[in-house]
Amino acid sequence: MTTLPTRARPRLRSGWVMSMAVALGVLGFVMAAQWNGEVQRASYTTSAQQALAAQALALEQEQESLQAGLAAVESQLTEIQAQSEGSQTELAAVNADLAEARLAAGLTAIHGPGVVIEIADSRRIVPVDENPGNYIVLADDLRDIVVSLWHSGAEGIAINGERLVSTSSIYGVGSSVLVNTAFLSPPFRIEAAGPPGLEERFQADPAYLGRVAHRIEAFDLEFATESQTDLLVPAFIGSTNLRWAVPEGTQ
Amino acid sequence: MRTWVAQLSLALIAVIIGIALVAQFRSQARPAELSSLPVAELSTRIQTLSEANRQLRAALADQSSLLADYQAAGAQGSSALDVSREELRRIQAFSGESAVQGQGIIVNVTGSLDAIAVNDLVNELRNAGAEALALDDVRITAKSVVTQGATALEMDGTTIGRTFTVRAIGDPDGLIAALKRPGGIVTQLEQFVSATITVSPTSDLHLPATTLNLVPEFAESVE
Repeated sequence: MTTLPTRARPRLRSGWVMSMAVALGVLGFVMAAQWNGEVQRASYTTSAQQALAAQALALEQEQESLQAGLAAVESQLTEIQAQSEGSQTELAAVNADLAEARLAAGLTAIHGPGVVIEIADSRRIVPVDENPGNYIVLADDLRDIVVSLWHSGAEGIAINGERLVSTSSIYGVGSSVLVNTAFLSPPFRIEAAGPPGLEERFQADPAYLGRVAHRIEAFDLEFATESQTDLLVPAFIGSTNLRWAVPEGTQ
Repeated sequence: MRTWVAQLSLALIAVIIGIALVAQFRSQARPAELSSLPVAELSTRIQTLSEANRQLRAALADQSSLLADYQAAGAQGSSALDVSREELRRIQAFSGESAVQGQGIIVNVTGSLDAIAVNDLVNELRNAGAEALALDDVRITAKSVVTQGATALEMDGTTIGRTFTVRAIGDPDGLIAALKRPGGIVTQLEQFVSATITVSPTSDLHLPATTLNLVPEFAESVE
């Protein structure tokens, strides 16, 4: 009876010391790795990088301003074209065709049933002997998703607010993805309007199952889909002027 | 009491490890700050943004001019009708609803390409500035994608053979340079799928209108 406390006490202390030692060891390792990473990054951020980054940021801000200006002018044009309805038969008919053409081209925001897909880089720590590029979302992944969505019947798609139109490409540029004129970074939110059941058709589509689905599973990319009954897909805001292609018969 | 202190200490250390691990994980992700991007990537980004902004400025000037035309016409009469007709022609050419013509390139492909490879080729041409595209005699729209059918590749319900042609209207020099750059799409396709690809400029391409109805059936206009 009296010996139990004296035996128990050393066991408790020994277990506590071991736990603390292991925990502090892990903490030390993680802090050292973190500190080394910070030092490495800081040493590579040169003044040239800072100057170029400032220039790129200024251009991105200019782009936002230009897009806002363009959206405002497009809105005024749409308003003027709508006003003529009923005021003059021929003009009203042409403007109705124009509204439909804008809708078909992706120049008008749409709403309706659809699916939202979100994909982001893996949260898994990259093993030393593996390519870190496998664990981030690539332009290929977004292209596979978009191909699957169109093939599944999507009627309008936007990636992080960039509406896809006839001239849109999805292009990897370093660590970013260029869509239309915008450099996008993860998480990527793909909004697609289309017929009911779009999510199910997308998930069963061979273009989705063929490559990106394997990458999501193998590298643990963050991925989620959700059907929505009234999804808003924004309009394309950008240049629709063709310099080289002209309507047939006008050249 | 000692057990309680030990548990509390371990819990505290676990929290600190958690925070440190999150910080460590974030440091392994792709660069979040512009200033942490490599110089080469920043230079490419500046070049791309400069060109994109130039196009946006031109588009803003053109649309502002169009708005001025409408305002001058008072949205009534023959002037407004002309402005609307011209705008309709322009937008239908952009979307693929009407036939277009112009300078560009012809890409002849022979080989066992899969759907991904053909879609990549189209994506590359779009990125290089192609304004209108057709695969064989099918106009490529925003929603045109190549998929593997039961026996062959298909696009918009049309079968694509082992030999096919992509026609692209745009700056011929820019399009050819993009396709043929070292390590570019032509090199990749020739090396990895043993495709034979020829690219040639042409001064007068005629691309048909799409046969698809591009107007949404389930989605509605917000305006």
